[in-house]
Amino acid sequence: MRLRTTGSGAVALALACSLAACGSGDAPSGGGGSAAGGATAGGGKIAVDLPRADSDFWNSYAKYVPKQAKELGADLMPPTNSQNDVAKLVANVQALVSQGAKAVVMAPQDTGAVANTLRQLADRKIPVVTVDTRPDKGDTFMVVRTDNRLYGSEACKFLGEKLGGKGKVIEFQGSLSSVNGRDRSEAFAECMKTDYPGITVFEEPTEWEGPKAAAALQTRLTQHPDIKGIYMQAGGVFLAPTLQVLKTKGLLAGPDDPEHIFIVSNDGIPQELKAIRDGHIDATLSQPADLYAKYGVYYAKAAIDGKTFAPGPTDHDSTIVDVGGGRLEDQLKAPLVTKDNVDDPGLWGNQVGK
Amino acid sequence: MTTSTGAVTPAPTVRPARLRDLALLPAIALLVLVGALIDPAFLSRDNIVNVLQQQTELSLLVLAEAIILIAGRFDLSLESTVGLAPALAVGLVIPATADGLGAELPVWTAIPLCLLTGGLIGAFNGMLIVRFRLSAFIVTLGMLIVLRGLQVGLTGGQNLFELPESFLYLGNARWLGLPASIWICGVLFAAGIAVLGYFRHGRSIYAIGGNADAARAAGVRTDRVLWTVFVIGGLLAALAGLLMTGRLGSVAADQGNGMIFTVFAAAVIGGVSMDGGKGTLFGGLCGVLVLGLINNILTLAGVSAQWIQAIYGAIILLALVMARLTSGKAQD
Repeated sequence: MRLRTTGSGAVALALACSLAACGSGDAPSGGGGSAAGGATAGGGKIAVDLPRADSDFWNSYAKYVPKQAKELGADLMPPTNSQNDVAKLVANVQALVSQGAKAVVMAPQDTGAVANTLRQLADRKIPVVTVDTRPDKGDTFMVVRTDNRLYGSEACKFLGEKLGGKGKVIEFQGSLSSVNGRDRSEAFAECMKTDYPGITVFEEPTEWEGPKAAAALQTRLTQHPDIKGIYMQAGGVFLAPTLQVLKTKGLLAGPDDPEHIFIVSNDGIPQELKAIRDGHIDATLSQPADLYAKYGVYYAKAAIDGKTFAPGPTDHDSTIVDVGGGRLEDQLKAPLVTKDNVDDPGLWGNQVGK
Repeated sequence: MTTSTGAVTPAPTVRPARLRDLALLPAIALLVLVGALIDPAFLSRDNIVNVLQQQTELSLLVLAEAIILIAGRFDLSLESTVGLAPALAVGLVIPATADGLGAELPVWTAIPLCLLTGGLIGAFNGMLIVRFRLSAFIVTLGMLIVLRGLQVGLTGGQNLFELPESFLYLGNARWLGLPASIWICGVLFAAGIAVLGYFRHGRSIYAIGGNADAARAAGVRTDRVLWTVFVIGGLLAALAGLLMTGRLGSVAADQGNGMIFTVFAAAVIGGVSMDGGKGTLFGGLCGVLVLGLINNILTLAGVSAQWIQAIYGAIILLALVMARLTSGKAQD
C-alpha cells in the first residue's frame, strides 16, 4: 500500500503509461473499491499458477497471493499448482485460459520448457508475468525476480569480510539446470576469484537436496577440518541438515567463539531467522515472498489495464531492466539479514503464521 | 522352473547366488584404491564411518526392496513411506504452532507411531496385491504418489523442524564409537541374510519368487509370506525415514523423493534379479557400498557440478560390467 501511494509520481515519470490508466490502477486507499469494480467489470480475470506445494517459501507465496490480490483489487481465479512439473504447468495454463483468464502469473521452475506455452499465450494475446524465474525464450509482459547474482555476490562479500580474505569455504550449489542456481553459483565464484583470491572454495553440487548437502559437508569436514565458512544457496532445504551435521561434529560454536563457522544462507524462512537469533548462522538473504506475490499480481493487472513499462527505477525501490529483446525484468531487492535486523517485521519470514 | 526345487532342497540354489554375491568385491576394491589415491583423507576412520552412515537409510530400503524383489514382487512406494511415516508421527506429537496436526500425543508415542505407519502402509500394499491380485508395479506406483500427497497435505507442505529429541536419537547417537544407525543396519542385514539363507520361511521367499504355483504346491503359504514381506518392507522404510530424520534434523516435505531409483540401482548392481527368485541380501549391501563409495570419491575429488551426474552414471554402468565379467553370469 504505502509503496504504491508514495511512489506513484515516480511511476508516472519513469513509465510511459497514460496518466489516466496509472491513476485508476494506483488509487489504493480512496478509490480502491471502485477501481476493483471497474477491473472486474472489464472481465480482467487473473490466473495464478503456483510452482510447488512442498517448500516453505512457496507456501508463504501461496498465502500472500490472494491477500495481495485483494488489496490490489484484482479479480483472482483460484490458483492452480503445477508441483514442479512443466507438463502440469502447461495443462494448468490451458485450463485457466479456457476458463477465461486474461493474464497469467506463473513461476516456471524449468525455464526452458515453457517456451511453447508462452508462444501459445502470446498468440492469444494473453500477457504473462513470471515470478522468480526468467524463461529462456518467449514473450513475457514482465519478469518479477530478485537479482540472483546479487545473492551470490552478497554472500561472497559477507564471508570474505568475516574470514578476513583467507581460509576455506564450502558452497552448497543449487541445481545448475535452473537459472537461479546458475546465477548464484556464478556470481559467488566470480566475486571470490576477483575479491578474495586467498579463499579456497569447495563447490558442492546438491540438486537442491538436503541429504546430498549433508553428505558433502561431512566428507569435506573430514578432509578439511579447518573449513571456516558455509554458503548455502537455499536455507529451506540445507539449513536443518547443515546444523545437524555441525551439531553431531560438535562444531556448532557461538559467533564469538574462535571455532565458529560462518554461515550465509539464502531464502529467509522463519527457521533461518531463528537460527540467526540463536547464533547458529550469521546471515541470510531474504527472498521477498510477499513482494513476489504483490508485483506478480500488480503487473498482471497492469497488463490487463493496458499499461506499459520501460526500463528504469521503479516506485518500490527496485529497477526494471531490459534483459534483451525488449524483455523487461523487475529486479527486486533481497535484504541481507543479520542479527542486527533479524527482528524487522518487514521480513516475510517474520510474518509467517501471523 | 528349475528354481521350484529350491523350496524343497535349498542347497543347490545357494551356490550360483554366492558367486553373484562376490561379483562386486573387485569393484569395491578398485574404488577403495582409487579413493586412497585421490585423497589420503579417504581412508581415515572418520571418512569411512561417514560413508557408512550416509548409506544407512539407503541400505535399509535396499534390504526391504531386495526381499520384495526376491519374492517376485515390486514396491515403489517405499520412498514415500520414508517421508510420510516420520512426518505423520511427528505431526501427531508436536503442537499446531510448529506445523503439527494439533493432536499433541505424548512424545514417546512418536517412534512407535512412525513404525506403525510403515507397517500399515505395507499391509495395505499387501492387501491390494496379494488379496485383490492387482499388479504390484502399478499399485505401489499409485501408493508412491498417494503417500507423498498425503504428506504434503497433512503438513501443508512445510518442513517439520521442531522435533522431539527422542525422535532424533537413533539417527544421531553413537554406540561403542560408531553411529547407532550403522549398528542397526548391520544387525538387520545379518538377521535378513540368516533368515533368507538358512530358515524355512526365508527360503520360501525364494521359492515364491521363482515359481509361486510350484511353491504353493510344495506347501508354502504364499499369500501369508508375501503379505509379511510387504509389511516388513513398510517397517524398514519407516525405520529408514526415522534414521534420516535424525541425521538431517528435520522432516523435509520431499524426504525420500527420488530415492527409489537409487534403491533399484543398488539392488540390481548387487545382483538381485528384477524377475524374482534370484539374488542375495549381501549382494544388495555390496551394491549400496559401491554407490556410497562412488559418491564419496566424487565429492573428495571435487568433480565439477556440470559433470558429476554423467560420471556417476558412467561409473554405475562400469560396476555392472565388472560384476558381469567377474561372475560370468548373465544378468537379468
